[in-house]
Order: sequence, then structure tokens, then C-alpha cells
Amino acid sequence: MAAAGKAKPRRKGRAASAPDVEADRALCLRMFRTMALQRAVEDRMVTMYRQGEMLGSVFTGHWHEGIAVGAAAAIRPDDYLCPIHRDMGAHLWRGMPVAQILDSFLGKEPGTTHGRDGTLHYGRHDLRIYNLPSHVPDNYPVATGAALAFKYRGEDRLALAYCGDGATGNGNFHEALNIAAVMDLPCIFIVENNQYAYSTPLRLTTRGEIVDKAVGYGMPGVKVDGTDVLAVYRATATAAVRARAGQGPTLIEAVTMRMHGHAEHDPFDYVPRELLAAWAKRDPVELFAKKLRELGHAAAADIAAIREDAHRQALEARRKALAGPLPDPAGVEEGVYAD
Amino acid sequence: MPTEQPKAEEVTYLDAISQALAAEMERDENVFILGEDVGQFGGAFKVTKGFLERFGARRVIDTPIAETGFTGMAAGAALNGLRPVVEYQFADFISQAFDQIINVLARHHYRTGVPMPVTLRCPFGPRLRAGPTHSQSIESYFAHVPGLKIVAPATVEDAGGLLLSAIRDNNPVLFLESKYLYRRLKVPAPLELQPVPLGAARVVREGTDVTLVSYSVGVQQGLEAAEALGKEGISVEVIDIRTLVPLDLDTIVASVTKTARAVVLHEAARRMGYGTEIAAEIGEACFWSLDAPVTRIAGRNTPIPTSPPLEDAVTPQTADVIETLRRVARA
Repeated sequence: MAAAGKAKPRRKGRAASAPDVEADRALCLRMFRTMALQRAVEDRMVTMYRQGEMLGSVFTGHWHEGIAVGAAAAIRPDDYLCPIHRDMGAHLWRGMPVAQILDSFLGKEPGTTHGRDGTLHYGRHDLRIYNLPSHVPDNYPVATGAALAFKYRGEDRLALAYCGDGATGNGNFHEALNIAAVMDLPCIFIVENNQYAYSTPLRLTTRGEIVDKAVGYGMPGVKVDGTDVLAVYRATATAAVRARAGQGPTLIEAVTMRMHGHAEHDPFDYVPRELLAAWAKRDPVELFAKKLRELGHAAAADIAAIREDAHRQALEARRKALAGPLPDPAGVEEGVYAD
Repeated sequence: MPTEQPKAEEVTYLDAISQALAAEMERDENVFILGEDVGQFGGAFKVTKGFLERFGARRVIDTPIAETGFTGMAAGAALNGLRPVVEYQFADFISQAFDQIINVLARHHYRTGVPMPVTLRCPFGPRLRAGPTHSQSIESYFAHVPGLKIVAPATVEDAGGLLLSAIRDNNPVLFLESKYLYRRLKVPAPLELQPVPLGAARVVREGTDVTLVSYSVGVQQGLEAAEALGKEGISVEVIDIRTLVPLDLDTIVASVTKTARAVVLHEAARRMGYGTEIAAEIGEACFWSLDAPVTRIAGRNTPIPTSPPLEDAVTPQTADVIETLRRVARA
């Protein structure tokens, strides 16, 4: 156990290179199924929103699927995951049932918080997924604490936190990166640069490159194409090897586009339509489908079957969630404090 | 309150906190301390003096000046099996961690059912000529937030005993340490460390004419005032609530029902101070027993100024406490 703070960090030699993800057909297909499922569920949620079935906001992660899934797939199930509202695929990767996600958007009792929190706040402790508050990136300091606990006990686990480009302007982001760097904590910080912080474009929130912020904290920074799930996987896997070897945190900037409004109430008419048209050609689910065909991992019929199955799962989850009970207000004052 | 320097055979309020923290770190490997200058420097007030040598840098962590960062770090560590004790160098600096405490720590259990055992140690309060941003009483900001417990010991024994309970509690606990009492309050050594339950007020002096409800420095001031008034034939019952949240209202109500008069005392500013809450609870519970309005003694509604005559003018003085108790007792 290396000492925190002033002591010299432990070094275990150079980080080994990440495994060859392309060659692993089963892994690739599982990642594709998860991305396709996120897309199908979110498309269904948008429809449900328009039909007035949802309680309130619906947040989607269109064009973020490769980041959510690529990063979650590149770490272990016993690592601590701190996703945000674009990262349904990370929850799905860890085994979160689709119906339970919809329960959260419907305020239903079977949801992970039993209706106490809602919408995107459905993280599950038993799946080692932090359930974040609305304040992104409050999950960044929390990730450093998980990493600290692992290092404290001499475990080779790590913590991975996501945030958006907008959140990089917040003090939580900077304090977490600085603490993780000076304490050599096993952390991976992923910034999903989707060009907009709600309505505010990147040029009004960030001067220079997000990835360059890593330099200021003395950690490696890597910029990847966020629509390329394999690129995200490789960058994360490399960062994970470093983190487990006691070599400290890594910042990954994954560039993509937010293809919907901040939430579904938002018409995002502030986004130039030609920008959306250009990004429309870079659908990470379609790009990965093409790649899987090129690699010989899947035929067109296999891809179609996977997407059809995702569509069917979303519909089944909708039926199940809508039929589920609402919570009983009799217990509403219970659990403010733990025993 | 005595003011001479402590002797080796005495244990101060500060020593009690230090001893309780060390005892919990000895007892439970998952307890650790983090904060600014807590390591090689031993803390700004020296609560953690010698801890680095005793427990090592793994468990005594010097942090950057990053209250929001290290508070969130404590939350993440607590969710992964540890029991962090966070030292804010001055309670005033906790404002920089407001978001993490309210949105991450305080409501996590209600939202998820997962405990958040974090102790937040805050040296707080006025009387040290430290000025507007080093003297604040912060309890009211946090008393409004469901999910936090708030502890404010008034004695050496409670400083140790309540800290043991705070660290063992499965909730975020704000532990308010009086800077003024740190080295002024002392008992003969050795101190028997015993956990003091959270949520149990204590009648520290029995009386029949008027009830004084307070916490922290106010309890010591109340005892001085009660002693002086006893010579005038006024019998003051002094209650130390010890924990603001949860509040032991039963002990307060039993006393006020008996004396029919209540005065609430604290150093924090009067407007929306915690005394306002206590006064309202007494008003609702004891209306038909009261012979006089429930009266508050509190800091003035100003920042805490630095210069002695200015600070003394805004901070409750023992003479003010005596005068108010006398007036209410004779009303």
C-alpha cells in the first residue's frame, strides 16, 4: 500500500498494452447488443414521453452509446462505476434490468429507489454503480473516494466516472482530478464531449482542448472518437492497466454529438441543423454494425436480429413497468437516517 | 470559564476529541482522517498531533485545499466500506463543501437505502478575535437538511463520548467543536472514554424557576449564570441538548412543564438560529404551561467582527445571560 499524499507513489513498471478487443468476437457482440439495447430503449422512452406516459423529463444518450458501453466493458464488474444521464448502456452492461430503468422514469415502486428518486437517478449499489444526484460532476469526487477505498485495502480495483463537456467548468471536476493525481488514485475520468452544455456551445464554456486539462494535473490525457466504441474501449483498457498498476488516473475525452435536446422537452433549435446532418452520418450503433460485418463477427441478418430483439425487450419492459405498482406514501418518512 | 494553560495531568476538550479519534482508529481499521494539514503538521489546532507517526500516511491524509473534492471523496470511500472522518480546518470553510454535503452525503440513504457513515469535524464559533470568516456558527445551514445529524458537545467528557458515537453512526454527522472551549475546558486525567448516545439531552443543573436550553459554549455560560443567580435565590435548570439533530425534545418539554419558563441560548445569529426552532417546539408543546414568552439569547444579526469590543458586542456575554434569565424568571 503506497502512502497517500506526500509519500512516493508505488510504481510497478510500464503499463502493459490493452488486449486486442477486435479479435474477441463474443465481447464485440455483447457490446453491440448493449448499445443496440440502449438505443431501442431510449427510442421507446421518447415515444412514451410524447404519448404522455412519463412522469417528467426523459434524458437520452443517442450517439453516446459507444462511450457508455465501450468504457464500462473495458473495466471489471467489481470496479466502481459513476455514470451520468447519457450512459444507460453502462447500467445495461452491468445487468440493470430495462424495466427497472423505466420504473425510475415512471416513479414506480420496483424502481431502484422505490420512487424516492426518479428519471436518470437509478444507480444500484449491488451492481457497484453510483446513483448520482442531479449535480454533475458531483460523481467525480465520489469516484476518487471509491478509488481511495480500493487503494486503502490494497485491492486492484478502480473507479470510473463520466461527465459531460459542460461539467468540466465545475470545481468538482478540477478538485477531483487534482486529488486523484496527487494521490495516484486508480481512477479513469471520461468526458463525453457532446458539444453542448444544455443550450450552451463548447466555445462558450471551454477555451482550448478538454483533453489538455489533464496536463495541468500531471496525468495522461487521451482524446478519442466517441462514436467508435472500440477506440473508447482501447483507451479505457489502457487507462485501467495503468490504474491497477498504481500509476494513477487518466483523463479520456471522447468526442461525440448530442443528437437530441438536453432532455425531450428541449427542441434544441439552438443547434445548427447542418451540424446535426453531418453527425447523423456517424451513428455509433451503425458504425459498429458495419465494423462487425467487416471483421466477420456478424452477418447483416445477425445485426438485424439483435436490433429486433432490443426493440422487443424495450416493448416488454414498457409493458412490465407501466403495470407495476406506485409506492405507498405510508413509508415516506422512513429511511431519512440509516440505523 | 478557566483560562490558564492545561497541565499534563489534565485533559482538555481538545485532548478528548483527539483521544476519541485515536481510539476509534485503533478500534476500527476502516476509520481514517483526512483534511488540510492533518498529517505532518498535526492539524491547525493540533487535534491530530502525532497521528501521522502513529497511524501512517495511509490513514492520516493531507489533502489539497479542496473541500468539495475531499468531501465527495469521503462519500465515495464511505460507500465502499470505509468510515472517513473529515476535518474542516475552520467550520467557515465547510461552505465550499455545501453541495457535496447536501446533495451527495445527506440524501444518499433516503434515495438508495445505502448508509453514508462520514463524520464532518468542524472547529466553529466566535470569541477568538478571528473575524467574519473564521468565527462562524454554521449549524442552522445544515439543521434544515434532512439526513444529517448535528452534534455540539459542551463538556470534555461529551467531546470524547459524542465523537465515538458520531464515528460509529451510519449517517453523515456534523461534529461541531468549540474552538473557544478547546483548551479552556479541562478535567483531571485520565479521561474515561465512553460513547454518549446521539439524541439524548442532559440536565446539567437542576432548577425550578426557569429552564435554560443550550449547547456548546452556551452550556458553560449557562452554568456560570445559574451559579450567580442561585445566590439571588433564582433556581435555573440548565439543559445541554448535546445533539441538535436528532433533538431530544422530551427532556426539554419535561423541564419547561416544570419551570413554566424557558430561555434558549446560542452564539449563532438570532434570525433563524437553532434557538428559533427550539423556541417554536417549546411553544407548540408547552403553551398551556408557560408563564412567560419563550426568550432567545443569541448572537446579533451581523457578521462576527474582529476587534474585541466589536466581537463582544455581538456575541452573548455571561452578563446578558444572567440579566435575561433574571427577567424571565421574575416575569
